[in-house]
Amino acid sequence: MNRNRRGLWAEGRGCRATVVVCALLITLCPLPSALCAQSADTTAFYKALELESAGKYKEAAPLFRTALGTSSAVSALLGLERVYAELGWSDSLIAPLDTLIRHNPHETVYRSVQLRTLQALGREEQLRTAITRWVQDAPGDPSPYREYARLLLQRGLTASADSVIRAARQALGSTNELQLEIAQLRAAMGLWEESAQAWRLALASSAYLEQAAIYALTPTPPATRAAVRQVLLAAPVDVPARRALAGLEMGWGSPADGWLALKDLPADSASAAAWTDFAGRAELEERWPLARDALVAALRWRRTPEATLRAANAAVRAGDPAAALALLPIEGPGSQVADSARAARTTVPLQARALSMMGRPAAAERLVERFDRWFTPGTRTVLTRAVALGWVRSGDMARARASLSSAGTEGDSSDAAGWLALYEGNLRTARVLLRTSTETTPELATALAIVARIHADSAPSLGRAFLMLARNDSAGAATAFTEAADRQAAGDATSILLSTAAQLRSALHDDAQAMALWRRIVEQQASTPEAPSAELEWARALRRHGDATGAVARLEHLILTYPQSALVPQARRELDLARAAIPGAT
Amino acid sequence: MIKLSSLARVAALWLCLALPASAQRLLVPMDDSQDDHLKAYGVTYNALKEGLTGEWLLNYRGGAFLLPDTPEMRKRAALAGVTFEPLDDGQLGAIRAEIANSNMDAVPLEKAPKIAVYSPPEALPWDDAVTLALKYAGIDYTRIYDDEVERGDLTKYEWLHLHHEDFTGQLNKFYLTYREAPWFIELMQQNLTAAKRLGFASVPALKKDVAEKIRQFVERGGFLFAMCGATETLELAMAGHDVDLASAYIDGTPMDDDADRKMDWKRAFAFRDAHLEHSPFVNSMSDIDGHQVNVPGRRQPLGTFTLFNFSAKFDPVPSMLVQDHRSVVNDFYGVTTSFTRTVLKPGDVILAEEPGAPWVKYIHGDYGKGTWTYYGGHDPEDPQHAIGNAPTDLSLHKNSPGYRLILNNVLFPAAKKKPLKT
Repeated sequence: MNRNRRGLWAEGRGCRATVVVCALLITLCPLPSALCAQSADTTAFYKALELESAGKYKEAAPLFRTALGTSSAVSALLGLERVYAELGWSDSLIAPLDTLIRHNPHETVYRSVQLRTLQALGREEQLRTAITRWVQDAPGDPSPYREYARLLLQRGLTASADSVIRAARQALGSTNELQLEIAQLRAAMGLWEESAQAWRLALASSAYLEQAAIYALTPTPPATRAAVRQVLLAAPVDVPARRALAGLEMGWGSPADGWLALKDLPADSASAAAWTDFAGRAELEERWPLARDALVAALRWRRTPEATLRAANAAVRAGDPAAALALLPIEGPGSQVADSARAARTTVPLQARALSMMGRPAAAERLVERFDRWFTPGTRTVLTRAVALGWVRSGDMARARASLSSAGTEGDSSDAAGWLALYEGNLRTARVLLRTSTETTPELATALAIVARIHADSAPSLGRAFLMLARNDSAGAATAFTEAADRQAAGDATSILLSTAAQLRSALHDDAQAMALWRRIVEQQASTPEAPSAELEWARALRRHGDATGAVARLEHLILTYPQSALVPQARRELDLARAAIPGAT
Repeated sequence: MIKLSSLARVAALWLCLALPASAQRLLVPMDDSQDDHLKAYGVTYNALKEGLTGEWLLNYRGGAFLLPDTPEMRKRAALAGVTFEPLDDGQLGAIRAEIANSNMDAVPLEKAPKIAVYSPPEALPWDDAVTLALKYAGIDYTRIYDDEVERGDLTKYEWLHLHHEDFTGQLNKFYLTYREAPWFIELMQQNLTAAKRLGFASVPALKKDVAEKIRQFVERGGFLFAMCGATETLELAMAGHDVDLASAYIDGTPMDDDADRKMDWKRAFAFRDAHLEHSPFVNSMSDIDGHQVNVPGRRQPLGTFTLFNFSAKFDPVPSMLVQDHRSVVNDFYGVTTSFTRTVLKPGDVILAEEPGAPWVKYIHGDYGKGTWTYYGGHDPEDPQHAIGNAPTDLSLHKNSPGYRLILNNVLFPAAKKKPLKT
């Protein structure tokens, strides 16, 4: 150990004399005399900044040098470092640095610039000498160890950085002030659990390091993540550590676990900020149930109209209308609304949509009528559709149509009318009206693909299938799509109807039924566009259930049967995974 | 109707004439037209394994393979995503004429070698570039370790690969940095237990004996391919068979101060007169490695290395080992990244070097009745490879020129021996 420490800190002892001689020579050189007597004049510094901004580095350099003798010396040195780097003259920085350090040996910035410069110039011996001198000049100060460890880490020299940390522990008696460097070092060494421990300590005193911690720990291999979670979740509850874990979980593709890291925090301002930030990210990624939970948690600390509205919006989008109405209760018709115009812009559309989703279209309709004069045309259209859909969900198609008609001829010719036509099995009208939709949802794409493949103008069984889907009856819809496929046995749409049914079964985690449908497509509809994708899904389901051999057989069949399919590259990759030929399978 | 039917018949006849006569060979091109270079080796290896024969067209379209045109072969290539071109006799004749008149040759491939990889039982395939490549290409191998080597199992195999192992028994000097890491403590314990179980006083004693058995394997006619730290430490263990090379932390006694002088380089395959690193605190074994990645102040930056262009007709073995669709390849670090020129034996064949640098990357030579090939570095597609990094997914690097060099080594023992012309 001692040998190592000597190696690190005492090498280049012979150089020290040279440095001293150089420093003496420097003082004799015609350097700015202002170095010796600082002035408050900052004219040269600001002029130098202007020249640097204009890219006139050669002109800026002498002014920065002049400014080294003023009260802006630190900033001037950083400026000089920048322009010299641009000019490729970094070696010219060494002499003024020696002088500055001699006059002010406790200024950390001077030392850091010196180390950076020597490293950039590849002067390893001088670098070690500079470190040794700094340690001697500032006993008990962790800064030299910190700076040197950082430099070594930047160069990927983890073993050397580790030696510096150990030297610091010996010299300082503790490494509490080097937790950031230890955390980065352990991560670079692949010691993820130890890195997480160090990050936790570093975050406790410097919460702003959250993003750095997430960045450093994100590459943790899946097998080690449980240990990292354990460290960051351990008692006592520490908000910065939990925030970092939530960020990591989002990056690892498990946002639900991210919320688990935050949900038990005590209700205070720091936790509320964590919940709100998490909700913001969940909203961006359209993970609405998580956004709802996080925003509702934040309301426990402080309830503002804006936060309540955000939470209700997330609840509606998460398919949880009851939570939205709990957040935004509807006042009775006789009650006074302070600002009806504002309510029509903010709360009422959410309340109306929530009522509609809950199968209370009559209440939604009354609410919409009450605030009708404050709605913009766009909002009115959206709410008309929402109310109509509410009537669809409650099974009253006549009221749904009447609701659309109340919006005038525009309502009758809208894509919403197209959906109603589809639910009634009127494919001719549905084909025309659904194409006018400006929205591009997966449901619309599926509906258009199906109606385009059925040549008949009427298909009540298909209408029933879509209607069940609209009423959130996925299992019923899957059965109805299968029945519709049976009725369409000779038609072009059989495979797409079966494929839709299989997707619904898979989403319901009913892989047995889904696989039966995929098998039917592959075996009986082999020449249809759905066959390769059905086979790929079938193989994936088999792999999920541990049947690698079955998955391999399906994937091989896909590749050999549909060599021109765009799914072949994906199938080859899945084949490699099923055969454990690439990482990810074990 | 009559007109249409006649037209159809004419069209069918025209199609028959336009199609080539039944193809007899499949050409697997290995130039830039190949979709998956790495799996092409697997398709070829497995054809040989099943008793088919093929040819390796050295320097022709990146080192193409010629295989029998059978439905099974087409199926395998299609499943693997390997590009192939059916050839008729006329096309094949033209290719042979081109080969005869250029720096090219057709080497018959006859028998797939039996492959062993020396690696701890608990190691994952992703820990080693060769097992990664073998797994991805679909080439079977057997994992062997100290117990199997000591039992004499090396005689069952024709091709042996080494990668991580530190044959000096010092566990790659990771003690310096990782002695508190649970995985290192476990590794040290496993090695100590194995040494005791096999009747050796220490880990270095066991590893030196394993090295000696590997030397005998090559001497008897085996093909050895080593990468990363195994190259350097195998040489040190063989040359230092009777010298204490290990630090006290592993065997209780310090390294022999006079070790440099006592090394018997005649026992080594590739190197001579190397200087050992005596400090247990310097993460380097000797001056064999040119890059010294783990030693601050000595570490050299990565560049690129250039493959030599050999005469395919006169030097078929080195030619096979350098078949590639790129002649300049990005360098990559390993515990041992490169080999210093000054310690190479005069008979070594340099297969790839960094021009102007004092080191080479890829070397080959004969020893006894066998051959050895050393390829510096750890993973051609993970140049900075650090412990804990995510494993390389070769489906994202299926055209890797660096990995091709590994697979050339797997296939070259399958070549039918020709009398050497030089």
